[in-house]
Amino acid sequence: MSKIKMLPAMAKLRISFVFLLYILIKCESANVDSISSDIRLKNVDRLVDISSQLVKITSKITLENTGASPVKNFLIAIEESAKNNVAFVGAKDSNNKDLKLVETTVKGYEYVRFWRVELKDAINSGATPLVTVETVFTKALLPYPTAITQQEDQLVKYIGNLYTYSPYYITSMKTSVVLNTKSVETFTKVKPFTQQDGMIQYGPYPNLKPFSEKELLIHYKNNAPFLTVTRVERLIEVSHWGNIAVEEVIEIEHTGAKLKGPFSRYDYQQDHHSGPASVRSYKTLLPAAASDVYYRDTNGNISTSNMKVKKDSVELDLRPRYPLFGGWRTHYTLGYNVPSYEYLYQSGSDYLLKMRIVDHIFDDMQVDEVVTKIILPEGSTSVKVNLPYPVTRLPDSLHFTYLDTKGRPVISFSKKNIVENHIQDFQLRYTFPRLLMLQEPLLVVGFLFALFLCVIVYVRLDFSIHKSEHPHKE
Amino acid sequence: MTQTTTARQGNGSDKGIFSNTAGFSTLITVTVLSLAWLAGFASRLFAVIRFESIIHEFDPWFNYRSTAYMVEHGFYNFLNWFDERAWYPLGRIVGGTVYPGLMITSGTIHWILHTLNIPIHIRDICVFLAPVFSGLTAIATYLLTSELWSRGAGLFAACFIAIIPGYSSRSVAGSYDNEGIAIFALQFTYYLWLKSLKNGSVFWSICTALSYFYMVSAWGGYVFIINLIPLHVFLLLIMGRFSQRLFVSYTVFYIVGLLMSMQIPFVGFQPIRTSEHMAASGVFALLMAIGALKYLHSLNPKGQWKQLLILGGLAAAGAVFLAVVLLTYAGVIAPWSGRFYSLWDTTYAKIHIPIIASVSEHQPTTWSSFFFDLHVLVCTFPVGLWYCIKHINDERVFVALYALSAVYFAGVMVRLMLTLTPVVCVLAGIAFSILCDLVLREEELPTQQDETEESKSLYDKAGKLKKRTHEQPAPVDPGLGMNVRSVTLILIMILLMLFSVHCTWATSNAYSSPSIVLASYGNDGTRKILDDFREAYGWLSQNTAEDARVMSWWDYGYQIAGMGNRTTLVDNNTWNNSHIALVGKAMASNESAAYDIMTMLDVDYVLVIFGGAIGYSGDDINKFIWMVRIAEGEHPKDIHEADYFTERGEYRVDSEASKTMLNCLMYKLSYYRYDSGGSPPGYDRTRGALPGNRGFKLTYLEEAYTTEHWLVRIYRVKKPDEFNRPRLPLAKRTVPTSNTISKKHALGGGPMTTKRRKGMLKNKPTVVKGKKAVKLE
Repeated sequence: MSKIKMLPAMAKLRISFVFLLYILIKCESANVDSISSDIRLKNVDRLVDISSQLVKITSKITLENTGASPVKNFLIAIEESAKNNVAFVGAKDSNNKDLKLVETTVKGYEYVRFWRVELKDAINSGATPLVTVETVFTKALLPYPTAITQQEDQLVKYIGNLYTYSPYYITSMKTSVVLNTKSVETFTKVKPFTQQDGMIQYGPYPNLKPFSEKELLIHYKNNAPFLTVTRVERLIEVSHWGNIAVEEVIEIEHTGAKLKGPFSRYDYQQDHHSGPASVRSYKTLLPAAASDVYYRDTNGNISTSNMKVKKDSVELDLRPRYPLFGGWRTHYTLGYNVPSYEYLYQSGSDYLLKMRIVDHIFDDMQVDEVVTKIILPEGSTSVKVNLPYPVTRLPDSLHFTYLDTKGRPVISFSKKNIVENHIQDFQLRYTFPRLLMLQEPLLVVGFLFALFLCVIVYVRLDFSIHKSEHPHKE
Repeated sequence: MTQTTTARQGNGSDKGIFSNTAGFSTLITVTVLSLAWLAGFASRLFAVIRFESIIHEFDPWFNYRSTAYMVEHGFYNFLNWFDERAWYPLGRIVGGTVYPGLMITSGTIHWILHTLNIPIHIRDICVFLAPVFSGLTAIATYLLTSELWSRGAGLFAACFIAIIPGYSSRSVAGSYDNEGIAIFALQFTYYLWLKSLKNGSVFWSICTALSYFYMVSAWGGYVFIINLIPLHVFLLLIMGRFSQRLFVSYTVFYIVGLLMSMQIPFVGFQPIRTSEHMAASGVFALLMAIGALKYLHSLNPKGQWKQLLILGGLAAAGAVFLAVVLLTYAGVIAPWSGRFYSLWDTTYAKIHIPIIASVSEHQPTTWSSFFFDLHVLVCTFPVGLWYCIKHINDERVFVALYALSAVYFAGVMVRLMLTLTPVVCVLAGIAFSILCDLVLREEELPTQQDETEESKSLYDKAGKLKKRTHEQPAPVDPGLGMNVRSVTLILIMILLMLFSVHCTWATSNAYSSPSIVLASYGNDGTRKILDDFREAYGWLSQNTAEDARVMSWWDYGYQIAGMGNRTTLVDNNTWNNSHIALVGKAMASNESAAYDIMTMLDVDYVLVIFGGAIGYSGDDINKFIWMVRIAEGEHPKDIHEADYFTERGEYRVDSEASKTMLNCLMYKLSYYRYDSGGSPPGYDRTRGALPGNRGFKLTYLEEAYTTEHWLVRIYRVKKPDEFNRPRLPLAKRTVPTSNTISKKHALGGGPMTTKRRKGMLKNKPTVVKGKKAVKLE
C-alpha cells in the first residue's frame, strides 16, 4: 500500500526539484545587461573596514539619472582582482530596506562580476536617491610575513582599489579605511589623505571614469583572529514530537601568519600578551531557546568551555583544546536542541520549516564551505525549498534512525564562501499526514505484544523431544 | 517445623503446600538476577556519570580503535589488517596478534542495532559493553553455583559477583578490555562443563566447547580453562571417579574445543605445540588409555584386571608424561613462555624480563588488596570451600581445584585477582546460603525459607545429595536457640550491608577514575578537569603531518594511535623487547646520542609525560628507571642502571642527582623551560625537589607543544639542516639563493631535506627506511 502511494510522491518531489534547479540556473546565468550611460554616481562615500579578517566595504552611493527616461535598476561591479574573494554583495535603499540583487553579466566585460540592483522606485530624470551597497570579501588580507614566531604580532597586507569600481561615471568619491590600529608599516599615499586613530581617509577624488582603478596597499598590524571555518556540516533533524535537533560538525583552521619555530608554554603562561596572533577562545551565539548543548570531538567532550544564557541568545564561550596558532587546525561537533514550535509552522497536514541555513560560529567568520542537511520526519512528502540566495542543491537521500522503516527524507544543499551576512532563513514546505504520528508508538506496542505472545506460547507449550520426568524442571 | 517437613517431603514427590513453588521461585530468581544485573550495571557507571561516555585507560584504546576499524571495514579486512601506525618501522598484523572476541562481540551488537535502525555509535557500545556483560556474568555465576550447591547459593553468588570490586575493577564503563567479557565466558564455560560432566551428554560437551571457543577468542586467560579442566579430570581419575559421563564429556570437549580454538589466528597451532596446552592432551591420552582398560575390564569383570587397571593407568600416565618431555626436548613443543614461568617463579620476571616486571599489575598481590577487592568474602569463602570438600562429589572437586589454583595465581600477580574473584563469589555464596539455611530454618520468613528449601529440593532432583540435606540439619538444629539465630542473622545482614557499601565505595573511588581525564577539587568543592592528555593527542592529530612518527614510552602507544591517530614506535602490545629497549635507550642517553637513535628510527616528534607541575605521580620520570633497566637489558654496554642513581643509591632529580641523570634526554625533555609550578619557580611537585639541571638549551629538538598543565610535552626533532648551521660570512650568503628552483619544487619538504641529509649523514636514514619497507612487503 504505502509503496504504491510513495511512488508518485517521490516522482513529484523529483520533478519539483528539477524545476527548482532549472529556475536557479536560469537566474544565475541567463542574465545579460548593458551599462546605461544615463546613470552617474554623484557622490560615493566608501568605508573599507579591514580591522578583522574580512574586508567589509560599505559604500553610500548617491545615484543620479542624467537621462530622460526613468531607470529601474543599476549595476554593481567587482574588479577582476577581487572577484574570487567576494563572499557577499547586498544593497539597501535610504529606508534601510533590502533591495533585490541578481548576478549578471555585461557583454565586453566578461572579466568583471556584475550584480544588478532592482530598485523599488524607478529613478526619474534628475532624481538622486541614496543607496547603500555592502560587499564582503574573504581572504583578501594576506599575512606578510607569512610566518611569525610566537611573540610577534601579525602583519597583514591589504591590496585593494582606492576608487569605487563602477561601470558609471563618478562625480566625487571618498574612501575611509578602518584599521583599528596605529601601527601601520606602509600605506598608499595618494593625496589628499589623512591618517588618524586607526583610520586612513582618502579623498575626495573628483570625476572618475568608469572602471577606474588605483592600487591601495596597506601593510599593518592585525591581531584579530584569522580563523577560517574550512567546512561546516549542519544537520537539522526535525521531529514532530516537539523537538528540532541541530548538530554542526565544524573544522577550523587558523589562516593567519603561520607559527614559526617552537611553541613555548612557559612564555605563553607567563605573559598574557604572548602569542598575540593566537586564538584562545571565541564566542558562538546560539538561538535563545537552545538547550542540551554539547561540544565534543572524536575524543570526547571538550571540557574547556562555558555557556551563558542571555535574553536573546545562548552564548557559548568555546575554547578549543589548545590555543590556535597560525596554521593550526581543530575540529569539533556542536549540538543542541530547540523546541519545534519556534521554527515549525503547521496548517492541517502542511508544514513549513523556517530555520537558518548557517548559524553564527564566531564574529566576522569566514566559512569556506557549508553543507546543510535537513532530516524530515518519516513519511514527509512533496518537499519544497525556498532559499534566500542561490546554493548548490545536493541529491536527496534517506536517513534511518530509531523506529524507522522506510527512512526519513534528507534534503541537503551546500554553499561555498560564506560570511555572517549569509545567516538567513530558508523555508521548507512539506506534507506530512498526521496519522503517521501513530506509526512509531504502534510499532513499539506491536513489538512488545509479539514478544509477550512468544513468551506465553513458549511457556505453555512443550517443545522438548522426549517427555521430561518432571514437568517443572528448572 | 511442619512447614519444613512438608516442604522436605515435597522433595521426592514434588507435591506440597506450595504446589506452584516452581513458578514462585522462578519469579524470585528472575527478579533477583535482574536486580543483580541492574545493580552491577549501575554501580559501574560512576565514570560515565562523573565524566562522560569515553574509553579510558590505555589498552582499551587499542581495542576500541580496532573495533572501530572492524565496524568500518568489515570483519575480513579486520583480520587482514596490517597496522602501519604501530611499531614503526615494523608495523603490526593486527588480525593475527589479537584476541578478536571483544571486537566481534561489540561489532555484532553494533550490527544488530543498526539493522534495527538504532544508530548507536560504536564508542557507546564499547563503553557499556563491560557493564552489560557483568550482568551476564552474574547469571553465569548463578548457574554455576546452583549446579554446585543450590539455587539460593546461586543467587547469593550472583549478587556478590555483580558488585564485587575485584571484578568491577576490570569492567567499569569505559574500560573496554578483554577481561570484561572473558570472565563471563570463563564462568559460563565452567558451568557448561559441570553440566556436561553431570549429564555425560554430548550436547552439553559441545556447548562447553563452544563457550570455550568464545573464551579463546576473547582472552589469553583461556589457558586457565584448558589446564583446570584436565586437572579436574585427572584428579577425578586419581580419586577413582572415572565414569562414562566423564569420558564422554571430556573427550568431546577436548577434541571439539581444540579444533575450534585453533581457528583463532592468534592462537593458531599453539594448542598442539606449546607446553601450556600439553596437560590437556596428556589427560586426553590418559583418559583414552583408562577407557580402553576399563573396557577390557568389563569384558572379564573377575580376575586380576584390577591390578592391571591401576598398573596400566600408571604406565599410561608415565608414557604420556615422558612423551611430552621428550617432544619438548626435541623442539616439537615449545617450552613455557616467560610470562608463564613468572607464575611459578615470582622472581623470574624481575631477573629475565624487566618489561613484564615493569607493569604494575604484574606485581605480587598484597594482603590489603585481597581485602580491598573481596572484602568479607575473602573470609567466608573458605567456609564454602570446606563445605564443598566435606560433601564432595564430581563437581565440587572442580570448584575446590578452581579455588586453590586461583588463590595461588592471585597471590602471584595483582592482575590475576580477577580469576579468583568469581570462585570466591561462588564459594562465599555457598557459605552464606548454608548460614542462612541454619539461621532461618525455623524463622517465620516464608519466602526466604521456601526459596532456599525449594532450591534444595530442585537441586536434589538433579543431583544425588538427597541424603546429605537430610542429615545436615539434624545435628545442628537443637544447638541454636532463638536469640542466637536472630543475632547471627542480624550480624550476617550487617556484614552483607557493609560489603555492599564497601563495593560501591571501592568501585566509585578506586576504579572509576578514568586515567585520561584527571579531576581536581578546589576548596569550595568545585571541580576542575585537567584534560591535558586529550589536549595533547588532539593537537597531535590536527597539527602534525599525517605520517608523523611519535616516539614515547610504550604506555602511551595505544592512546597516541587511538586518539592522536599518529604512528608510534612502541605500544602497549609489548611483543618486541628490543624495540622498546631502543626507545628506552634513546630516552636514557644524552641528547646527541639520542638524536642518532631518533634519526635511525625516523622520529618526528617525542612525547613525554611530565607531572611535576600538578603533582601527577604516574609520569615518565617516575617510570624512567624501568626504561633504563629495559634498555640495559638489551644494551648493557651503553646503559648502566647505576649511573642514574646517586652514589648512595638514591633516585633523585635535584642538584645531587647523578650527572648522567641530569643530562639524559628524558630529564631534559621533562624539565626544559619548566619554570612555573610551585612557590620557587621550577619546583617539581611530584618529587618535591627543585630540578638540578635548569636553564639548559636543546640542540636537536624544539618544543612543539606543551599542554596547559605541563602534563604532556611534545617535542619536534629537528632536521639536520635546522641546527648547527655553519655560520657563513655575509659575502657567501648569496650562494644558497641560486637554489631557488629546487626550493620551489620541494616546498620546504621532502626532496630538499633528504638531499641535505644525504650529504650530512652519509645516506643512513633513507637507506634504512627503504630496506625495511621492502623487506616487510
